[in-house]
Amino acid sequence: MSERNTLLLEKQAKNGTSKYMLERCASVNDYYDIAFKVMLLGDSSVGKTCVLVRFKDGAFLGGNFIATVGIDFRNKVVDVDNLKVKLQIWDTAGQERFRSVTHAYYRDAQALLLLYDITSKMSFDNIRAWLTEIHEYAQKDVVIMLLGNKADVAAERVVKTEDGERLAKEYGVPFMETSAKTGVNVELAFLAIAKELKHRATQQQNEPKFQIHDYIEAQKHKSSCCGHM
Amino acid sequence: MERDNHQVGETEGVKICDPPCESNPPADTLATSLSLLGNHMFPYPLERKHRSAVEEEPADSLSDVTAEEESLDGEPHSHQVTTLETEETESSECQNNVSTQQLDIENEDTATDNERSDSGEFVVTMLAKAKLEEQGLGVKGGSSPLLEAETQEPPAFMSHRDEDVTADSWRQHRKHVFVLSEAGKPIYSRYGSEEALSSTMGVMMALVSFVQSGDNIIRSIYSDGHTVVFLQKGPLVLVCVSSSRQTEQQLRGELLYVYYQIISMLTQASISRIFEHKKNYDLRRLLAGSEKILDGLLNLVDSDPCFLLAAVQCLPLASSLRDNISQILQKAITPNLVFSILIANNQLLTIVQEKTVIEDSRLEPADIHLLLNLIGASSAFQAGEIWTPICLPLFNPDCYFYAYISYLDPPECTVCLLLLSTDKEAFYAVAECKRKIEEAMMAQNSLSLIAKVQSYSVSQVGVSDLRHFMYKPFDVPDTYQQLTQFTSPEMEAPYSSEEEKMRLLDLYRYMHSRIHSTSRPLKLIYHVAENETLLAWVTSKFELYTCFSPLVTKACAITAITKLLRWIKKEEDRLFIRYPPKYSTTPNPSKSSRGGKSDQQDSTDNGFLSLL
Repeated sequence: MSERNTLLLEKQAKNGTSKYMLERCASVNDYYDIAFKVMLLGDSSVGKTCVLVRFKDGAFLGGNFIATVGIDFRNKVVDVDNLKVKLQIWDTAGQERFRSVTHAYYRDAQALLLLYDITSKMSFDNIRAWLTEIHEYAQKDVVIMLLGNKADVAAERVVKTEDGERLAKEYGVPFMETSAKTGVNVELAFLAIAKELKHRATQQQNEPKFQIHDYIEAQKHKSSCCGHM
Repeated sequence: MERDNHQVGETEGVKICDPPCESNPPADTLATSLSLLGNHMFPYPLERKHRSAVEEEPADSLSDVTAEEESLDGEPHSHQVTTLETEETESSECQNNVSTQQLDIENEDTATDNERSDSGEFVVTMLAKAKLEEQGLGVKGGSSPLLEAETQEPPAFMSHRDEDVTADSWRQHRKHVFVLSEAGKPIYSRYGSEEALSSTMGVMMALVSFVQSGDNIIRSIYSDGHTVVFLQKGPLVLVCVSSSRQTEQQLRGELLYVYYQIISMLTQASISRIFEHKKNYDLRRLLAGSEKILDGLLNLVDSDPCFLLAAVQCLPLASSLRDNISQILQKAITPNLVFSILIANNQLLTIVQEKTVIEDSRLEPADIHLLLNLIGASSAFQAGEIWTPICLPLFNPDCYFYAYISYLDPPECTVCLLLLSTDKEAFYAVAECKRKIEEAMMAQNSLSLIAKVQSYSVSQVGVSDLRHFMYKPFDVPDTYQQLTQFTSPEMEAPYSSEEEKMRLLDLYRYMHSRIHSTSRPLKLIYHVAENETLLAWVTSKFELYTCFSPLVTKACAITAITKLLRWIKKEEDRLFIRYPPKYSTTPNPSKSSRGGKSDQQDSTDNGFLSLL
């Protein structure tokens, strides 16, 4: 533990950050340098919990739909440029009756993943309402990403990829289509968020700004030509 | 109203009584029950036909029994048996003669005008049709009420949402539960989708409002093999259609649990406000995603006697270990924390309460049952930390608590910590309490000690003929306002299969209904059933249900009970939470008595109104 702490201090000194640093690690096996809060938002049953479980455990929760109760707080530590980044992820219930408790935790979030279901026009149409809500409750500089989930269910698609892209462009947020079932782009979405947050936190005056849009485009192309995602 | 009496199809009986008077409901129920004794409606109309004998034991044969002697044997059966036999033989004919079915209204207010009777006939015809749709031909009028149980039990936790509501299998479910709004909008159905059942629910509502228009309240309908029970709670109507042979009273109790579960998610205040605002509001919009919680509750109600006994069963644990764990919870506190509850294997391990909150009231078992059900229905597959608003309807039906739910032993997920706060914003503070508890439990190795604990076996009592029992004590120290508890061993062979478990539970339900009968309550009942002998006994100090092997003699059973009571007395520190510990999280006691003022505000500001 003490060794880890020294390491942490060294890194802290090197990067010149302290704002987002936590003074101590939660536990020995859960070591990290920097922590961020991420929140998953979107209508009920667009797949928020499934996307999170795919990212966290690499598994797909098939079969029965189990609605999230309230908000569900989970952690995952990822490596970003040799830095351990702990993502503290709020998985929220999509149901209206939990809105008040969700609102109470918006302002803590540094990043928001906003999901819709490409097989549900309704969930896509509600994205504007979600963005209005975000602007009302969230921090001004919150990182937002739009995800069209269930991309594997091509046969039932009702929301075109271009529609998602157009909406994302309008609001100036990065966009991609994901599938919790096959895992397409799920890791990428969280990693892009982690990179962006890490760059924001550790950025020096003279360093170039991290371009999340470019990064995503590059990664998307990379993964599609390798075809392993 | 009573035209064409005793026609072929006299299978329908509608029991109606005057609206319960707020000031004196028990008297009203008693009057209702008494008035019904003249009718042919008995909770167990087929009792005579199965080969069991019911006998009430004279109280003085047990040395220390204070029970009153029941001199009458059985119930006056003759009339009902003949009626029902007619029903059985004619039941198929009934299906074709819907219009001849009778509505038999026991109405104390005798003034009936023709107009009402006419519309009444219309509604009855509608009901009869609806009932035929719902129940079909699969009515098993002749079998024993106590043996019928095992045949129709659906596999637990199967998704029933997509079931075909016109199929025979749908009709044959043992117990249907429907929830609808006063406008007749479907809110919940245990089996099948609500949309598909909207016309059936419309008929139910028509019945409710027709009877209401005569300044009456519909309570139940008895038909061959089925009991339909109605419960009206504010703007909600709950209906149970059961072939389980449970009494109306028991079924109404179960409907009340369903109502409480809905309240626990939305609060009574919000529901009233929503329907005041918009009578035809579709409440499913707010309950979306909670069907699993209601399904889970109904499965639990069918399989766990805690609902029947209205008591909580705690995990048997050496009192020293329980005390240690309680102390850990007692130390991990934060402002506005009001309850710290630890649960292992879905059983209560310990509960620590905030002093001032609990001063003038105690936590009702029903509230604990709802919490346990919520945990069971939540996502237990991951090591997440859940934060959710929850209302404890018996504690305060109009306010929310905020529940922190987290498992302490991932990935097994058997030991669950539940912390209730009155502060919506307290997640991080409460989560910090969990870290403290986790650390302390790790230091004391509590988790591995808990993991070794199991329910106990009836063989530990050391009485050879005793197969199973349920014991609910009333003699708790007054100074410690305590949770109502009961204790019961594991159900072992011959009650190891689901069917046999259900059969034993049905026997217990029958015994319970006799003990708690509103018309003729019993203190002691000795019941020789086909495969076992049961003895139930209620005194001012406890309520006891025992199950013996079939060949036990009365004398043996009594000796066995004496031994059992002695054993329970010896083990009570292990079997029960004797003195629930407390802590104080509010330096200023006026600040948060009964849920706190901040909650009162919250219930008016939870966003529901803005959704309308």
